[in-house]
Amino acid sequence: MILSKPFAFLKKDLIEQASYKFSFITQFAGIFFSTILFYFISKLIGNTASAYLAPYGGNYFPFVLIGIAFSSYLSVSLSSFSSAISGAQMSGTLEALLVTQTEIPVIIVCSSLYSFLLTSLRVVFYLVLGFLLFGVEMSGHGVPAAILILFLTIIIFSSLGIMSASFIMVMKKGDPFMWVFTTLSWALGGVYYPVKMLPDWIGRFSYFLPITYAMEGVRLALLKGYSLSQLTFQVGVLVAFALIMLPLSIYLFMLAVRKAKRDGSLIHY
Amino acid sequence: MKYAVEVIDLVKNYQPLKKYKDYFISPFKKNIVPALKGVNLKIEGGEFFGLLGPNGAGKTTLIKILATLILPTSGKALVAGYDVKENERLVRKSIGYVVSEERSSFWRLTGRQNLEFFASLNNLNGIEAKKRIEELLEITELKNDADKYFKDYSTGMKQKLGIARGMLTDPQILFLDEPTKSLDPSTARHLRNFIKKDIVEKQGKTVFFATHNLVEAESLCDRIAIIDKGVIKACGSLSEIRRLLIGKKKFIIKFEKIEERVVEKLKNIKSITDIKIPASSSQDENACEIEVDGEGEEISEIIKELSLLDIKLLSFFPVIPSLEEIFSQVTEKGEKI
Repeated sequence: MILSKPFAFLKKDLIEQASYKFSFITQFAGIFFSTILFYFISKLIGNTASAYLAPYGGNYFPFVLIGIAFSSYLSVSLSSFSSAISGAQMSGTLEALLVTQTEIPVIIVCSSLYSFLLTSLRVVFYLVLGFLLFGVEMSGHGVPAAILILFLTIIIFSSLGIMSASFIMVMKKGDPFMWVFTTLSWALGGVYYPVKMLPDWIGRFSYFLPITYAMEGVRLALLKGYSLSQLTFQVGVLVAFALIMLPLSIYLFMLAVRKAKRDGSLIHY
Repeated sequence: MKYAVEVIDLVKNYQPLKKYKDYFISPFKKNIVPALKGVNLKIEGGEFFGLLGPNGAGKTTLIKILATLILPTSGKALVAGYDVKENERLVRKSIGYVVSEERSSFWRLTGRQNLEFFASLNNLNGIEAKKRIEELLEITELKNDADKYFKDYSTGMKQKLGIARGMLTDPQILFLDEPTKSLDPSTARHLRNFIKKDIVEKQGKTVFFATHNLVEAESLCDRIAIIDKGVIKACGSLSEIRRLLIGKKKFIIKFEKIEERVVEKLKNIKSITDIKIPASSSQDENACEIEVDGEGEEISEIIKELSLLDIKLLSFFPVIPSLEEIFSQVTEKGEKI
């Protein structure tokens, strides 16, 4: 019973997305080509960055493969909630959803499940491609720690995503959370290159970004086999971020819903 | 629960979007647009209630407040006995809301898949949901088209699916916001019959029906409220509204030939307060319209007086204003009953 609503949303989104057959197939082709692209870039880089990459095994391709695979979770956490709202506003279905016996937060969370599921498939596809075609080696020991870090990171970025959705609910467009965090996280958080490569004064900013700890933790777990006890610092920081941001985001979201209902703009776009 | 819907002094003010120049000229000034100005309504259970008003009168705002989609600025609204501000969840449990927006279903899902999805969101699952969906498809005559994509439905079928969706939980109260707006006359008539016969008469639901279609309101509703510029101008059954609006009764008298002495005679009868020759609603120049003040006994007196004139009286009948006339009197002349 508890799972019936998430399942209903997943089924509905899967039917809808699968009906756009061309787009459904091409997104997997895109993953294949971006993996090949990064493989050849890593060949080009060779050993030139090995000093920075030493903590993660010294090879650029596994480093960036994990970076792009897991950062897609962060993208979807940031964008899926606000997309769920604006998508339903634009398609005209939001009003019908809001008069059901399902609370708005449940509707928003369930509306984003399909994106998370698709992203999980993408990540698996990235890792399997890396393993089968390009011989990337990963450690099975670190998988539980990587999953925990990923879970915490999804909570943190989803909190940011919910704040972004709150903004969209009231202002309809021009969400600043998304822009600031996406730009800073991707530039400074160690997705495509190690944070240590950054000049010191810029590198300091990366310590304020949860993605820095998430990327480092996942890479050390999967590429070096670090256990949970060896990653307590990264996990601790992520737990702290999650404890602050999740309640804050839910509070802001409830405020935004109240304001939109007062303004009569809940379904406007 | 005393009433299915009770609205007490309900006020809703909107703040329209500011223009760029407003931020420079009057940055702190708040523009307020009143949508509802102290609305009061009481609707009994099992009633077919029509909310009639021109575009922009406040119909949709009122219905959205009752469906918990908008918060009122002040006042109170109770639906099935629950306050729309305090008990949103319980209100939503008691109502079905049918929007006129045909895009409110998922176009790339079939009719049945749409109903299954919304059933789940309304805590209706498994066999119970399947059974209810089958029932509704049967009632709305969509059974043979249930597995077609919603995008391939005609406008009438889309509207029927919207009604089926609104009735999934077998709600006590159904809010219908202009459900026949984009339908052709035949489909609209069919849908109206379906709402009146199946939903109200057979199933005993309370229906709150917002429309600007006068024929629709006249043929369907037990009681009507006419709303204009956020104010309820008249409320009651059509005959009550007529009575209140007319106050003085009007009659048309047709003579074989109307003569000066007849007019003089009519002018001298005390209970007749106004005479129009010819009658405004008749092309016949031998007909006149009289306005009578009194309780009813004066009619026989008028007939008696006219019979003394030795003139041939062809007919004598009351003028019953149509809803259209009442509507225009209330909305265009701004009269409040």
